[in-house]
Amino acid sequence: MKRIVFCFAFIAALGCCNAVFAGSALDAFKGQEGVIKVAGGTAHIPVMKEAAKCIARFNPKVIVTVAGGGSGVGIRQVGEGLVDIGDAGRSATEEEISRYNLVQVKWAVDGVGVVVSPKNSVKSLSTEQLQQVFAGTISNWKELGGEDHAIDLYDRDSASGTRAVFVKKALKKGAVNGGANVVVSNGAMKTAIGGDPYGIGYVSVGHIDSTVTPVALDGVVPTIPSVQDGSYPVARGLYSSTRGKATGLSALLLNYLLSPEGQKIVEEKGFIGVK
Amino acid sequence: MKRCAELLLVIFSWLALLVFATSFLSLFVVLLLRVRGLDAVSLFFGDTPPVDALLHGLPVFDGIYPALLGTVSVVMVAVLCAVLPGVFTGIYLAEFAGPWAHRIVNLLVDVLTGLPSIVVGLAGFSFMVLLHNLFPGAPGPCMAWSALALGFLVLPCLVRTTETALQGIPAELRRTAPALGATKVQNIFFVLLPFRAKDLLGGVILATGRAAEDTAVIMLTGVVASAPGMHSLFKQFEALPFYIYYMSSQYRDLAELQYGFGASITLLLLCGVFFAAAFLLQSYVSFRFRGSSWLQK
Amino acid sequence: MTRLIRAAAVVTGICTIAVFFMMLILGWPLFSHGHLFALLVGGWNPGSDQFGILPMMVGSTAIAGGALLVGTPLSLGVAFVTAVFARGRMRRVLLSCVRLMSGVPTVVYGFVALIYLVPFIRSQFHSGSGFSILTASLVLGLLISPTMIVLFVNALDGVDPRARRAAAALGATPVQRLLYLQLSEALPGLLSGVVMGLGRAMGDTFISLMLAGNSINMPDGVLESARTLTAHIALVMAVDFHSLEFQSIYLCGFVLYLFTFMLVLILRVVDHRFRRGRVQ
Repeated sequence: MKRIVFCFAFIAALGCCNAVFAGSALDAFKGQEGVIKVAGGTAHIPVMKEAAKCIARFNPKVIVTVAGGGSGVGIRQVGEGLVDIGDAGRSATEEEISRYNLVQVKWAVDGVGVVVSPKNSVKSLSTEQLQQVFAGTISNWKELGGEDHAIDLYDRDSASGTRAVFVKKALKKGAVNGGANVVVSNGAMKTAIGGDPYGIGYVSVGHIDSTVTPVALDGVVPTIPSVQDGSYPVARGLYSSTRGKATGLSALLLNYLLSPEGQKIVEEKGFIGVK
Repeated sequence: MKRCAELLLVIFSWLALLVFATSFLSLFVVLLLRVRGLDAVSLFFGDTPPVDALLHGLPVFDGIYPALLGTVSVVMVAVLCAVLPGVFTGIYLAEFAGPWAHRIVNLLVDVLTGLPSIVVGLAGFSFMVLLHNLFPGAPGPCMAWSALALGFLVLPCLVRTTETALQGIPAELRRTAPALGATKVQNIFFVLLPFRAKDLLGGVILATGRAAEDTAVIMLTGVVASAPGMHSLFKQFEALPFYIYYMSSQYRDLAELQYGFGASITLLLLCGVFFAAAFLLQSYVSFRFRGSSWLQK
Repeated sequence: MTRLIRAAAVVTGICTIAVFFMMLILGWPLFSHGHLFALLVGGWNPGSDQFGILPMMVGSTAIAGGALLVGTPLSLGVAFVTAVFARGRMRRVLLSCVRLMSGVPTVVYGFVALIYLVPFIRSQFHSGSGFSILTASLVLGLLISPTMIVLFVNALDGVDPRARRAAAALGATPVQRLLYLQLSEALPGLLSGVVMGLGRAMGDTFISLMLAGNSINMPDGVLESARTLTAHIALVMAVDFHSLEFQSIYLCGFVLYLFTFMLVLILRVVDHRFRRGRVQ
């Protein structure tokens, strides 16, 4: 009896998934079998996991494994042939592309926003202030109109694509103080800032939720609309790379991400679709 | 004055015990409190029906079943790989090694015992990449690599258990079989080792527990954040310790955080069972860094 | 069969040595690129081609040292109670509990401390983010104590029972026996327990990775964020495999290997001294 109930529950679950994606790009996975190994950018993880789930619900024989590590890991591992698809939150450099013969697909647009704890009263910074905060020359919230307390800086590891974009476009290649705490992913940055009332850091705009408050940069709050209309300058694409042109299951996964259903996942997870 | 010192020592000791016990109790209480109200089925299987996951291998998302399965299988493979070299090296140290060979192998096993697991992981990773560059068909990060590296990590544990088990055998028993015409090897495998079978099994289980809790080695050699429905030696996998590490910083809401606590309890129980079993089986402490005689007293 | 046994021992030995040479050879480009000395005493700034690991060595030492400062008194106290003050059943219960504690997985400590201890430390002190040397040391001290306690108890129990009975016959109370007989007799054993605790503390990756903050600056206070050699390996794993930056982690591995080797040698010396002392 229980078994039957479970079967029904399962069919119902499948039905839901199918109903959402009726007559969909998932059809391409029909009859396929195999594993797609994905690694790299941590901003991509929520979308990749959701895509993996929908694909496995449609055809349990197609499995997508998702590893994080950062954009550097993605590009390196796909280049070395250790994974099939490497995610990166920045465009691969000329050197990387030529060395590994990478082909990139951009499937979402994202921004990188400065965030503080919701308890913090500072909600706006100028580029200059931001540079000084991250360089360590401004080290107290008082100097920014906040409470009299030291600023806790949070930074990402040097392999992060989010960091590369942030340093280039928001800090204008300004220095980051070496005393900053280093966290390993967008998710970790969000939870660290959410828990630290005196912390400041930066995350992918798609990851910003109620646990952290975005800080306006030169008067523009980093949100999906402001990135979309171009008024918030620190924007970037989310890329997936393959060695050579994508083939087989990898190509199907990338096509799926670019299909209307895939783009819907992208938007559900807080990013901007490219189509 | 002396009385005072004595009294202080007593007070200090009991205070230390109090602090120690409180810290660990609070650790457990916190874990128990935080998993209260967590539904076990959804913790393990997420929204996948358990029967389908167990019997039909349907991929499980948002549950720790794949991680549990990954940990159990990688640890079993690791210990399987390590058991023969470990036990044989132990036999070598206890029965065959001459003074110089004993000194060298003993030193190396000690170094291996103390080697940080991330260094072992780094070595495993580098070996994997080297091999991959030499033979492009060689597997990338996968469970087999993790198991090999983990096996290497727990090797000294097996060596030491075997060695001390053999050393502790009374001379009468040791001489009986050879007196009846058995060779040295026959004596070891048919008399001495069976006599210490419990200790050996204890050592193997202890090694399993050590392998199950290690995160650094598998993180560098093949574990991933999400690999639902994977059951292959040559594929990437999920594992409980890495799941906990991942959840500690990636949780999106309190429900996901609670999954982290649930996974912690699961791993704690798993390791606790291994350790308890090992201690029950072993008749004496096999917990030391090396088999020096003064520790056995 | 004999051959197989010898082969196993040789393989074990060679693998251990191979790890050493792997670190050395793979890190070689870096050794020849800059001066080894500059790497060992320099700071870390990959942007300007500085791959020094001094801040990480200081971080490792500070956190492991702090862990010992926390763990040693704690373990000594518990070991005294277990080995001397407690009797019969309580002693057995304590000892088995302590042994079971040694099986608590590292990530579980890290996870709980991240959720509870980090905010607590942050709210107690007015500077720092809670990710600090202090936080990591506290947790690491707790983590290494079960191992140290077992070793301490072994050492205290290892004191010649005849001497103990003699002391008791002369009217010494347990605490007097501990203070004037067992402590001095067991000193080498206690010392090697501390050395092993240090080894475990130095070799741990996840406590410092999760709790110490991982900043690349030289730490100048216990409330400052710091990065250990082990956490550095875990973090830099993510960069380009062919870069000099990546190769620097082999230097970290090399230093950690040498450190382990040194500890083993120290243990040998302590052990040797002790045995010679007992014969006399």
